[in-house]
Parts: sequence; C-alpha cells; structure tokens
Amino acid sequence: MYTVTQIFPIIQKAFFLLFLAAVAALVTNHFSPVGIELIGQWDQGKRVINADTKDGSPDHHPDIDDVDMAKLIYDGGKAVFIDARSTDSYGKGHIKGAVSLPVDEFDSMIEFLLNHYPTDKHIITYCSGRSCEDSHRLAQMLFDFGYESVSIMIDGFPVWEESGFPVE
Amino acid sequence: MVARLLLGSIFIYASYHKIIAPDEFAKIVYGYDLFPSETINLIAIIIPFVELISGIALIIGIYTRPAAIVIIGMLTAFVIAISINIIRGHEFDCGCFSSDTSQAANTAWQTLGRDMIFLMLGIYIFSCGQEKIFNVEGK
Repeated sequence: MYTVTQIFPIIQKAFFLLFLAAVAALVTNHFSPVGIELIGQWDQGKRVINADTKDGSPDHHPDIDDVDMAKLIYDGGKAVFIDARSTDSYGKGHIKGAVSLPVDEFDSMIEFLLNHYPTDKHIITYCSGRSCEDSHRLAQMLFDFGYESVSIMIDGFPVWEESGFPVE
Repeated sequence: MVARLLLGSIFIYASYHKIIAPDEFAKIVYGYDLFPSETINLIAIIIPFVELISGIALIIGIYTRPAAIVIIGMLTAFVIAISINIIRGHEFDCGCFSSDTSQAANTAWQTLGRDMIFLMLGIYIFSCGQEKIFNVEGK
C-alpha cells in the first residue's frame, strides 16, 4: 500500500497532466478550424441544439419553429417537404407526400430531386426534431445544388405527428 | 509494459475522432443527459486531450502512475455515467471510439464491460509502477 507521502506527489503530477491537457485542448480549440465555442447552444427551447462552431457555419435558411406555420405552408400546396431521416425512419412514418432524401444518401438521390423539382421550388426539410441537425445539413446541401428557397421545420416529424397532421 | 502500450494506444485512438470533430463529440456528451449545458462544450474540448496526453504518457513511460490515476479517474467517471443511463433506461451513444452517431453503437452493457476491463488494466499499471523502459519517473 502507498503512504500519503508516496501518493501525494503522484496526485500532484496527475493534476499537472490534467492542467497540461486542458491548456493543450483550449489552445488547439482556439486555433483549430473545427474548433467550437466554449459554451454551445444546448437549449432545445431556443433552436436546434449544436456545439456552435466558431466559424459560424453558414446557415441562410429560415427556421420554421412553429409547426402550425409549417402546416399552413403544407396546406398551401406550393412547397415540397423533404425528409432528411434514414429511409428506415421514413418507412415507419413520414409527413404525407414528403420526399425521402436521407443526408447520407444525398449524392445518389439528388439527381432524382433535380429531375422532378425545379430549383425555384420552395423546399421544407425536416428530421427528428430539435436534437437533430440533418435537416440543416440537407438544407445547406440543397442550397449548394441551386435550390434557392429552402426552409427548415425544426420541430421535425415527431411534433408534426403529435399535432395530428397528415402522415403516411 | 504491454499493458501500458495497450491502454495508452487505446486512449490515443479514442481521442482521435473526438479531437477532429469536437462538435460531434459535444453532441454525444449532450446525449448522456448528465451535464449542465454550460459545461458540455468544455467537456468535449478537454476530455479528448486528457485521453491523448495520458495515453502518450503511458506509452513513453513518463509520469506513468499519474497518467494511470487520470485514466482510472476517467474510466470510473465513464462507468458511473454509463451505469446511470442504464439504470434510468436512457438511450445514448457512448461516443467512445467514434463521433459518428450514424454508426450502430455498442450496447451500453458491452461498453460498460469494456470500460471495466480497461479500468482493471489501469489499476494494474498503477499498482505495478515499476516501468523499466523509458521510465523517467524513477519509481
């Protein structure tokens, strides 16, 4: 067994390692292109949660944070809803008439979308709610492919379904 | 020596994905649903470097026992965090070796078992403490 006098220097050195790691971490994070803010956005009540990257990832797409507003747009019939979740989740239930375009399969499926929907079509992306970012990633990808009017329904499919709106 | 190299390599490997994608790791920390929101990013920034530096220390044999203590402390915290989530039935991704949340994560029980083995390895390294190669600690 160790005595206090034996263990104390070890603990001291352990704290030194922790201090070294913290300094290295903060300096690296400060200069790293993938660094994040020291405090992120983790309040689901405000908007979609994320760590807040320091470069302030470009996000030019309006968030629709009221599912009733999304329903009004849906009823207008001029927008196409795109489901960013996996095909498996889509298969289990999705907004009625929504198109499936999982973020991970974007490259293989974007051709289909371009062939069926002109780039001036109003697109609304959604995923599983405020803890998922796929709808934002998809919106950015669509914007990069020329779609000019992309919005994000940040409450996603669960809130739409809970509200009793059309699903299939 | 083998235990040091093994555990050191594991921790360096574990830190890699977290360092290159801190935003993804922060989301995994959030998924544990245990920490105040103000601390999540700091945890995601600092923990990977604690893993990296402890791992390097174990491999090159500098500050071996202090590094083993740090690793024992971290693994104990991981085991507690995973156990709390198992007990309350909270689904989460451990984020141990990858920040890719789309990959199927190991079950919480597998993760817990693995961390317990690593923990025993850490205790073994600490208790041996008689490194002969590259050890500048002199103990």
